[in-house]
Amino acid sequence: MPKTTQLFGYHSKRAKLTEFAGYEMPLWYTTTAAEHMAVRNASGIFDVSHMGRFRVEGQKATGFLEELVPTAVKTQPPGKAFYTLLLNDRGGIIDDLIIEKLGEESYLVVVNAANAKADMEHMRAHSPSGLVIDDRTGSTAMVAVQGPGAVSSLQRLTDLDLGQLKRFRCAEARVAGEEALVSRTGYTGEDGFEVIVYGATSERPDGAMKVWEKLAETSTPCGLGARDSLRLEAGFPLHGSDMDQGTNPYEADLAWVIAAGKRGFVGSEALEASGAQPPSKVRRGLVLDFGIPRHGFEVLGDAGAAGVVTSGTFSPVLRKGIALCYLAQGSSEPGSRVGVTIRGSSQPASVTKPPFYDERSYGWKRQKDN
Amino acid sequence: MEIKGYHIPDDLMYTKEHEWAKEEGKAVRIGITDYAAKTLNDVVYVSAPKVNGAVEQAKSMGTVESIKAVSEVYAPISGRVVKVNGVLDSHPELINKSPYGEGWLVEVEPSNLPAERKSLLDARGYAAYLETLLQK
Repeated sequence: MPKTTQLFGYHSKRAKLTEFAGYEMPLWYTTTAAEHMAVRNASGIFDVSHMGRFRVEGQKATGFLEELVPTAVKTQPPGKAFYTLLLNDRGGIIDDLIIEKLGEESYLVVVNAANAKADMEHMRAHSPSGLVIDDRTGSTAMVAVQGPGAVSSLQRLTDLDLGQLKRFRCAEARVAGEEALVSRTGYTGEDGFEVIVYGATSERPDGAMKVWEKLAETSTPCGLGARDSLRLEAGFPLHGSDMDQGTNPYEADLAWVIAAGKRGFVGSEALEASGAQPPSKVRRGLVLDFGIPRHGFEVLGDAGAAGVVTSGTFSPVLRKGIALCYLAQGSSEPGSRVGVTIRGSSQPASVTKPPFYDERSYGWKRQKDN
Repeated sequence: MEIKGYHIPDDLMYTKEHEWAKEEGKAVRIGITDYAAKTLNDVVYVSAPKVNGAVEQAKSMGTVESIKAVSEVYAPISGRVVKVNGVLDSHPELINKSPYGEGWLVEVEPSNLPAERKSLLDARGYAAYLETLLQK
């Protein structure tokens, strides 16, 4: 039996369902294309309660996380949320995650649903005695509100001044009367928030359901189909598809998460060795002239095999096929032309560094008068 | 007729792979069913054979793609393609809006229709098949 989130009662009546990471989740409510464009042009809401949420608390919390991730932790102020990676001893990516710093020694770690168990085991294996790592996945719900209309959609439900909450900041607040943690983060490339509703279990889903239904009055409910096409259009890698334990941050084009000069974290020695030379392959974007690339499709350069597509879709904004892929050094220069083999024929494509959309028109940096 | 919200016109022939075929004079018009279109959810790309290309019954003759998925289209009958619905290049969503009308894919001049039509389903047969499929 797949697990369900606190909001399953809403999805089961209205959405086409799919199993993902052991959870029965909404794939789409209307169409993926319509939900995608609702987020780019107005605002959409996503049930992301399946994601893993771990509370890390106690005197040793900061020291523990500092030794666990390549990002600086101690110097982050409370109220900051930051993107980082869990690495294995070889510098390979166990997962990507967001850490929300609630207090000097208090954190909420938000991880991919598919990796939650492996992440917990990795953290427990490295944790000092006396440190509390508490799985809050089942006792909280999580809703993402994303799009240029996200501020106005969420502001109706809270006294927290969302205009004052900058990107990658978080604050505890009441949302629709429920105690919650609000962070200005997301996985769509748009402005928006992720709201973690406290005290929400499968037995007592009412508070989370109230938050969701109030948001649904002004935002479009979106399924995992749109979540995937939106993150891909923004160029965000999905762990398990676009990177795994055999990929290091240099190859994944995520070297920016490694704090300059930081040493002594899990995987740092391996990264020092691999960072000294250019990676043999690197993550890039592809825009196709025709056709839709999919996971596993081969990429050909002038000199033959150049790489492989790790995720691909149709971009509703560009109205073209787009992909994330890994390319060998000789073919990875943005602007290069390569071919993607689709059912036996090579389709021409351009190498890019995502996001795929024009940032003047879409995404959180967009010009406001658009 | 209609089975659980999926429209099945009475006057078409069907395959178990969810294509339909209809005689239009000397040619046979081919498309995908309402069920196939709704299962794909949002058709965004169509790859059909070219005019004069040969298609063979039960063999792939192209693909219909949504944002998330690729679906092969199998030729319900054999023959030579005489017309392609070029409007789908710019408006693939017509397959969702009107799978049996404006969303048709190709017209084929059949090479062996009398024999091949025996392996196609009528509307009642396809409806019964769809019902067993939806019970699973």
